[in-house]
Amino acid sequence: MNNTFDIQRFSLLLKRKWLEFGKIYLITLAVSLGIMLISYTIAFWSIITNLETFSDNTLDFREPLFFCFGFLFITVVASTYFSHLGHKPKTITDLLIPASTFEKFMAGIFFTGIMTTVSFVVLFFLTDLVFVSKFRIAVPGETGLNSFRDAEGAVTAITNKGVYFFAPDRLNIFMPLYLVPFFVTSIFLLGSIWFNKYHYIKTTLSVMVFAGIWTAIVFKTGEILTEGRRAVNHSRPIYHAANDTMEWIITLLLLMVTVVIWTITYFRLKEKEV
Amino acid sequence: MIRINDLNFGYSSRHLLFKNLSMQLNAGHIYGLLGKNGAGKSSLLKNLAGLVYASSGKIEVMGHDPAKRQPSLLRQICFIPEEFYLPSVKIEAYVKTNATFYPNFDHKYFNGLLAEFEIPVSQKLVDMSYGQKKKLIIAFGLATQAQLIIMDEPTNGLDIPSKAQFRKIMAAALTDDRCIIISTHQVRDLDNLIDTVIMIDDRDIVLKASVEEITQKLCFKRVKELDNMAIYSEPSLLGYNVLLPNYDNEDSKLDIELLFNAVLSERTKIKAAFN
Repeated sequence: MNNTFDIQRFSLLLKRKWLEFGKIYLITLAVSLGIMLISYTIAFWSIITNLETFSDNTLDFREPLFFCFGFLFITVVASTYFSHLGHKPKTITDLLIPASTFEKFMAGIFFTGIMTTVSFVVLFFLTDLVFVSKFRIAVPGETGLNSFRDAEGAVTAITNKGVYFFAPDRLNIFMPLYLVPFFVTSIFLLGSIWFNKYHYIKTTLSVMVFAGIWTAIVFKTGEILTEGRRAVNHSRPIYHAANDTMEWIITLLLLMVTVVIWTITYFRLKEKEV
Repeated sequence: MIRINDLNFGYSSRHLLFKNLSMQLNAGHIYGLLGKNGAGKSSLLKNLAGLVYASSGKIEVMGHDPAKRQPSLLRQICFIPEEFYLPSVKIEAYVKTNATFYPNFDHKYFNGLLAEFEIPVSQKLVDMSYGQKKKLIIAFGLATQAQLIIMDEPTNGLDIPSKAQFRKIMAAALTDDRCIIISTHQVRDLDNLIDTVIMIDDRDIVLKASVEEITQKLCFKRVKELDNMAIYSEPSLLGYNVLLPNYDNEDSKLDIELLFNAVLSERTKIKAAFN
């Protein structure tokens, strides 16, 4: 019998966990959907009812909504996942379930890192798809189109103003951003097992304190290293050349930190006592 | 089944609950674990289930180290804690998601126990009374067919008929390959149930003896007047309850409460009687 990982046992654990965690998760998801629908309805209301008020900035609300609310959603879910381990009777039940610590930890990663992120993206994608498609139908012809012209006034390209949030040409963004959900949830998952009470607040405060100390160290180090020196070749376009490398370095760094935080969470779970 | 060697355990390094505690527990027995408040009964049970980590020493449960929390051992342990948690679901859903972890789970036996305990099956677990919940987790734990059954104050919250049912069910649950450990303050609830008494005090096991051995070496009597043979006595309505050395091989019924108080106040004399 494999005492570290067994796929059948893992699937049983997911089912069992869903029974307890699913309720909190679905409530949070329903709240998210509600906020998405309200935001889209407010933004699109005038478009659907009165075509003249449409402006090119109408869809700009989507980025802050996606990033800010997405952050809030995944962190809230992650910070509740292991929070029950601060409660003695629940800890006893959880620790004695015949599954390995690794399986229990992996279930945490599945629910917080993968399922919450994917479900939020899917929900946002569907909401956006419905509203933007509605817009495209409601704003036909030239009103709904952007045309690009060259210096002589000839039309070079025509695009629809109702661009889908997840349109393929919009997805080629800064690569490390794709890792941010895993990084963020890993921090809040660790917070959920590290603290016994007020997990979300304590994790947020800890991150703020840590980020503040870290920024101060980097700033001070930079100041000490560059003291009495002057920057030269300011205009040389080195940053553009190093863009790809920098993106990879940040991606790897983020990945490494995420894995380190997950490892700490695993050991914290392993060491958990009643 | 269980071997404990030189166990040192405490919630802080300054104050140890157990110091070099050693003990062996075998299958086919129902052990009654007794001790004063704070003596470490629950902590010992938690050590056996791998819920806490010992400072040093070795615990072996069915050949496993419980601290590793391996699924192969966990499926053989049924732990009924004093304080427990049940989710807000119906029994059917609870069993469906939890019983699958135990390959030998006996559904028929479980349903039989539910009927015997008169637990309403259609009710949500959170809507049940404390006693009903307790009976449910006892029924579930026994139905897992685990080899090691650990119970911490199992009769707390049970009404009088349920306590009698509990004793009957536990006596029937004992098999040759099962080891049952029951920790309780309500020693009367263990009457005629346990076959071995374990008493913890002052960071160590002060008594571990079978009921047979105890009644062979000690005699529990009710007398009108005290004599100087008594190891320990307590006044009662009709005279005194006394504990005497059983020099004449008299038959007497074990009075756990009297024994417990005797061990606490006359430890040296009791130990001498067993040596």
